[in-house]
Amino acid sequence: MKRTAAGLPLAYRLAVASRSLAALLGGYLLASLANVALALLTPISQVDAALLGMMLSFLVYLLAFIWCFACRSAWRAWAGVLAPSALLAVIAGLAYGMQTP
Amino acid sequence: MKEGFRQAMAWLHTWTGLIFGWMLFAIFLTGTLSYFKDEISHWSQPEIQRHALDPAHSLGLAQRYLNANAGSAASWFIQLPSDREPAISVGWREPGQGRRGFVSKSLDAASGEVVQARESRGGDFFYRFHFQLELPHPWGRWLSTWCAFIMLLGLVTGIITHKKIFKEFFTFRPGKGQRSWLDGHNAIGVLVLPFHLMISYSSLVLFMYMVMPAGIMASYGGETNRYFSDLFGRDVDVSSAGVVAPMAALPSLYAKVQEKVPGARMGYIQVQNPNDQNARVSFTRASSDSVAYRRSQSWTFDGVSGALVSSGAPESAMMMTSFSFAGLHMGNFAGPWLRWLYFVFGVAGTAVIGTGLVMWLGKRQLKHAKSDCQPGELRLVEVLNIASMSGLLLAVAAFFWANRLLPVTLEGRADWEVNAFLWVWAASLLHAAVRPGRRAWAEQLGLGAIAFGLLPLLNGLSTGQGLNHAIAVGDWAMAGVDLTALGTGLFMAWLARKMLRVPAPAKKRAARPAAPGKVTAEAEAN
Amino acid sequence: MLSVALLGYAGFAALCLAMEKHFKELLKHSPRGVHLRSLRWAGWALLLASLVLAVHLRGWAHGLVEWIALLMAGVTLWVFMLPYRPRWLLGLAAVSVVLGPLLGLASLMR
Repeated sequence: MKRTAAGLPLAYRLAVASRSLAALLGGYLLASLANVALALLTPISQVDAALLGMMLSFLVYLLAFIWCFACRSAWRAWAGVLAPSALLAVIAGLAYGMQTP
Repeated sequence: MKEGFRQAMAWLHTWTGLIFGWMLFAIFLTGTLSYFKDEISHWSQPEIQRHALDPAHSLGLAQRYLNANAGSAASWFIQLPSDREPAISVGWREPGQGRRGFVSKSLDAASGEVVQARESRGGDFFYRFHFQLELPHPWGRWLSTWCAFIMLLGLVTGIITHKKIFKEFFTFRPGKGQRSWLDGHNAIGVLVLPFHLMISYSSLVLFMYMVMPAGIMASYGGETNRYFSDLFGRDVDVSSAGVVAPMAALPSLYAKVQEKVPGARMGYIQVQNPNDQNARVSFTRASSDSVAYRRSQSWTFDGVSGALVSSGAPESAMMMTSFSFAGLHMGNFAGPWLRWLYFVFGVAGTAVIGTGLVMWLGKRQLKHAKSDCQPGELRLVEVLNIASMSGLLLAVAAFFWANRLLPVTLEGRADWEVNAFLWVWAASLLHAAVRPGRRAWAEQLGLGAIAFGLLPLLNGLSTGQGLNHAIAVGDWAMAGVDLTALGTGLFMAWLARKMLRVPAPAKKRAARPAAPGKVTAEAEAN
Repeated sequence: MLSVALLGYAGFAALCLAMEKHFKELLKHSPRGVHLRSLRWAGWALLLASLVLAVHLRGWAHGLVEWIALLMAGVTLWVFMLPYRPRWLLGLAAVSVVLGPLLGLASLMR
């Protein structure tokens, strides 16, 4: 694909914008949910689990970012961050429900 | 976007690098200066005298001053002089006034009198700027932490993009135009990679409670304060009894700490409810004593009886991991030569970002080398490159010049220094916008060379503490700032000269079109 | 810590020379396979020795940090000065190979 600024088709620009949003927001959602799941489920002390969750969440964010720009289409970018987010949301939700009666 | 993983990563590297490169350059440059925060502060307040260290004596002076001036405060904070900070810092909080009622003073380490120094934020300005960007709270911290994430992403995508990372590990070929810029960019990036990775990831760890709060919120519910007390092992605050009682002498408590950990240097010393029945005195070990922050290295005494009430809880492995990242980032543990290496690596990080920005533009300008005008977006990038790099250096020089030239008694003096920094930076943007690219570079770099080169002279003339004096009395903090300014001036003069000369041979070689099909992903990345 | 710096610097110099391209360029003759292999071994051994020394002298926390810092500084100096002053760098590497272990031993005896 040509990269001269004027010659880029609109569809391409929209796809890049969509991927960027998937990375920025979808990636953050995934990282946050991974953070929550780790903080709630890791069998170490409460503060240690919180630290572990936060420290690893940045790596999740990083991988999500890379995924969103490496995959073949913008749709896959969204699917790739939202599907694992949904799974983590269920896991984290169950854990949260059990811990706070 | 391009097909293929490596190409996609090169694309990501290129564009995130361009969009956030200017801000990252400023964050890295001011962050690098922050490794000499105390030395810069010393330079900008030359009135503060350095004395031989005597912690117990200084602590006694601090207590005497606070008793006389803040006897009924809710709490006191004392920071003893160190190898790097010459004065005693004391602060106190008036009762019932919350955060607003905080007062702080610098005391002379030998006499205990308030130091009458010119008002200046000194090194603290660059330190604060590098993570707050002079923006309202909390936006500056969010933005700079985001930039740190982009830096980390840039490093990872850069490594993926760099095909011959091992084969060209030792390769730098100067004098070959774009090829040399890419070599330089790659070599500084790869050779100093452990530092780059540490500094960008640790920035995230430092502010993770702010930018990734979901885990704490889910685990601690509404009580996020409990997370911090779990993490730092804080004592429960003791409220004042309302009964006046004479306090134990702080130097005697200091001696008790020294008995437990001989030779330990003290960070800040906090006194809760001074001169009250429920007075509490906590000593915290200086961060210069260990790589990681150590919460276990703190001791709390009953302020009246002088008995040890509690000492810091031990750290878990997970805490040590995150405290180590924090400690590594700030480098408080580093002695003089390691501190200089930190500075050099910080400069290297700044250079990686700078070379990246220059390459992005250089590669695209080559395509328009034959025509007279370049597209508007390239011109925009050029102007921003100039203002964000040479303009920022000029702004830093302006800060130092303002420090020496503004009248010592000027109202709001510290703010005027910051204004000088910001105005000169804005002026450099304007200048870059109206002058042709190479001329703008050369003029700003040349002016910067003069400003930095003459700084030692200005210092000598205005304070009498110039290089001849500072070296004679062994004031290496003062001399170090002057000498670094001189070095920066020479470097900028060299760059300015390069910009003035017509780059005929280098440009020719670089302009030769690459053979079709030989364009590698690496070349894509710049 | 000078000994750690010198050992690390010499180690990277050896690893660089262990690459055929750099060997030819710097020493002006073609290396035999055994040369390159022994340089590679020597390079890693020197790096390892500097690590052991750094940790021994300064403990794990400071030792590891200082070791990495010195290695990065040494190799950066090597790579960026190589096009301009190759003979100086080779001379410094030769001095380091001798002086590094000697200073290291001296600091161990103390």
